[in-house]
Amino acid sequence: MKFRPPYRFMRSAVADREGNARISSRKIYILPTGHGLTYGVLLILLLLGAVNYANNLGFMLTFLLTGLGLVCMVHTWRNLLGLELTAAAVEPVFAGQPACFRIALQNHRAGPRPGIRIDLEGSRPDITDLDGASTGSLSACVPTERRGECTLPIVRLSTRYPLGLLRAWCYVRLDASCLVYPAPGPRIPPSDVPDYTRSAQGDKGVGADDFVGLRQYRAGDSPKHVSWKALAREQDLQTKMFGGDRSERRWLDLELLSGDLEARLSRLCRGVLDACEQNLEFGLRLKDRVIEPGRGQNQRQRCLEALARFR
Amino acid sequence: MIPDPKRKLSQRELLFLIALLCLSVGPHVLHLQPWISAFFIGMVTLRLLGLSRPALLPGRFLLFLLTIAGLANALAHYPLMFGREAGVALLTSMLALKLLEMKRERDIYVVVYLSLFTLITQFLYRQEMLLVVYVFLVVTGLIAMLMHTNMMRSPSRPTGLLVRSGGLLLQALPLMLIMFFLFPRFSSPLWDLGIRDNRAVTGISDNISPGSVSRLSRSRAVAFRVDFDQDRIPEPARRYWRGPVLWDTDGRQWTAGDQIPERASDFFASGKPVDYSVILEPTGGKWLFALDLPHQVPTEASLEADFQLIHRGPQKRRFQYRTSSYLNYNTGALSEFQRFRGLQLPDNITPRMISLVAQWRGGSDSALVDQALAYFNEQPFHYTLYPALLGDNPADQFLFDSRQGFCEHYATSFTLLMRIAGIPARVVAGYQGGEVNPISGHLVVRQSDAHAWSEVWLPDLGWVRIDPTAAVAPERIEQPLDLDRISEEIGAPIDFVPVDISFVGALMEQFNWSMDALDASWHRWVLGYSKKRQSKLMDLLGLGFLKGSQLVYAMVGITAVAVTLMTLALIYRGRPKPNPVQAQYQRFSNRLKKLGLQRRSYEGPRDYGRRILHRRPDLRGQVEPILRLYIGIRYGRMNNLANLRRLKQMVGGFRP
Repeated sequence: MKFRPPYRFMRSAVADREGNARISSRKIYILPTGHGLTYGVLLILLLLGAVNYANNLGFMLTFLLTGLGLVCMVHTWRNLLGLELTAAAVEPVFAGQPACFRIALQNHRAGPRPGIRIDLEGSRPDITDLDGASTGSLSACVPTERRGECTLPIVRLSTRYPLGLLRAWCYVRLDASCLVYPAPGPRIPPSDVPDYTRSAQGDKGVGADDFVGLRQYRAGDSPKHVSWKALAREQDLQTKMFGGDRSERRWLDLELLSGDLEARLSRLCRGVLDACEQNLEFGLRLKDRVIEPGRGQNQRQRCLEALARFR
Repeated sequence: MIPDPKRKLSQRELLFLIALLCLSVGPHVLHLQPWISAFFIGMVTLRLLGLSRPALLPGRFLLFLLTIAGLANALAHYPLMFGREAGVALLTSMLALKLLEMKRERDIYVVVYLSLFTLITQFLYRQEMLLVVYVFLVVTGLIAMLMHTNMMRSPSRPTGLLVRSGGLLLQALPLMLIMFFLFPRFSSPLWDLGIRDNRAVTGISDNISPGSVSRLSRSRAVAFRVDFDQDRIPEPARRYWRGPVLWDTDGRQWTAGDQIPERASDFFASGKPVDYSVILEPTGGKWLFALDLPHQVPTEASLEADFQLIHRGPQKRRFQYRTSSYLNYNTGALSEFQRFRGLQLPDNITPRMISLVAQWRGGSDSALVDQALAYFNEQPFHYTLYPALLGDNPADQFLFDSRQGFCEHYATSFTLLMRIAGIPARVVAGYQGGEVNPISGHLVVRQSDAHAWSEVWLPDLGWVRIDPTAAVAPERIEQPLDLDRISEEIGAPIDFVPVDISFVGALMEQFNWSMDALDASWHRWVLGYSKKRQSKLMDLLGLGFLKGSQLVYAMVGITAVAVTLMTLALIYRGRPKPNPVQAQYQRFSNRLKKLGLQRRSYEGPRDYGRRILHRRPDLRGQVEPILRLYIGIRYGRMNNLANLRRLKQMVGGFRP
């Protein structure tokens, strides 16, 4: 899309409260394509020939093709009419990665709708054929640059079916957004993270990671932790003990880094990823917002979200 | 595939494109110069070989050379590049080259458009119904090709696509009819490209020699069709279709000679005139045929002093005209010039001819005519379609020696005898009779109805038609020749006795008449649809006030209305149809709408029922069985026709 239409003034299909945007008749634009204009020139030539030779069969063919053009207009328009779009939820991405929205298309009509295409500024178009009374999906990828909330911009849904002589399109505003984490920056040198805090007590065998040993089963122990192997060996019912709480605890603190805010956030992001990968227990301090140390995917997500939304 | 104009075409697509292109050009190959056709066929062969061995396809330089060769070929055979043939030759050569060059998706459009253009040129050569069907089928294929490029995944079999594209074309058909009948027709071409049509056509010509009419009569081809107003068809004996009037003879051949430099005189007529319109097949002659005697002159024709209707130029296409005739007439006095021409005698009049005429002298002119007719009737004259060849003096030989001949023998020798007797006479050529098509009610006149007769001028009566053939074979005037039953031996008599036709024969005849009726309406409504017919049709539709550009506005308006109606129909047809069970459930919910108890989109039937009964406990007796049955059909094992009918009944009777 080289030409950027003034969307503000264009009619567009807007998603309702349930997130479905239905394409109604007055939202559809239609214009001939280049091939369509050539077709028009062809029709004029045919008509001139038929008139000049006063050839009635020539008139017939010319008008058959003219009629065909008109029928195509109806079909192209109808190919979009009544289509229902819903944007599906999207996994967060890091800044710089494209945010790919899946857009579900619902064809309520019994007949098929071939050649439905979606265009989004700056991304590859996607195209699909919908069978009668079925659902399909298209993907629209938005390039991301900055962290934060990335909303799906206005998309253009278009079709050239059946003959490519005309293109019908409509603008659709879908209510969808994708969280963009900061792009992971360079690694934080250890010197910049002085606040390494070791667990004072050491391993008490109440962690969750490393197998430490067995002890007698007590009522209330999780059956997951029962050593079934030991039971099979006809020993008593025993419970497995895990350690790991001895490992390092890391605080990632915005204040301790220097430089541009975005660069600092990027480095914190890297810190979160690394800490999660190394299975450290880590916490995040962003000025007022403090995320208590924790570990695992949930902690990672919580921290990254905080980084993405930080102002 | 995402449409990409640069995408390479697959083998299959190429094969279909080649086939469609060949089908579009196909019929041209038969009548173009052999070298142009050969070039085309050569390029197609090369292209087909190139499908399996792409190395054979010419590179850019070779293609350039081939283009030069193709152009040179077209130029060599049509040096001036002027007119229809040259245009088609050039188009064919270009298409042949396009074949070699097409590789990518965008070429599909080029090929399809060029093919469509080629298809319309087919109609410049032939206009049969069969060709129209052929063109329609090829167009279906071409449109299917366009459809294919605009779908992500095309149906695996081409038939699916063809059905769809055929469907599109069928939807375009009503629009075509509207535009076809409403688009204003012009009476003259926008510009003249010097089109010349050189097809050989048969028909009555301006000269008659012994054997010429009988040769023509051996053809079953249709000469013209006549549509009489109010179906007032004259009886067979009065169906004399007047063509050229022949005045001059050299003793062997009769010719029309120069036109008489007189204006057509008014004649006295009685009775009601017969109005009719004629669809004339191409004849190559300039005569328009009309019943004796025409008084109304069709446009672009003139009525001569001897009552021939002469058209501006030769008839090389089907042509339709209207005229009107009086069957009872008296042409009145004779001009000196006509008397002089009507009495000219050739050099080869023999004494026995003179003495024959001398025997009949004594009474009035009309008595003499009767005696001459009686002579033909009483002497052993035979009527045959295959007369023996005659020598230098055919009239003498026929009258006294061979005595077997077809109508032209009788007409010419009778005319000569009259001139010897001093009665002005002339030969008229044309057609006699015609068969009524029982299906459409129009009269079909065939070449086998070709006929020649005499006209003599009698005081008080004017020019009177005398048909000496009728004196020999009166049946000829009442019924057409049955060519299937005439033996081809020389001198074989023509047998007019009708025979019983078998059932299959009758069926065949019925079929033939249907085809004839179809052909006539094909001409009437399609090929011969002209400015005149258009204004008549508009009058008939009550749109007679539309003239010229107003017709265009009407065409656009009516087409727009038709498109709108079609759109509504398509939307109606495409509306989502709930299954019958859900439809009943919806009906049930609609009944409760008035009570403000419409089903919510997220509500299941049980919750819905609970809500209804909470508000209206009195409905329990009706609501519960309905919902129970609905749940049973929809989610349980009660889905059968009987239950559905019961549900329908229950919902129908539910009126809260």
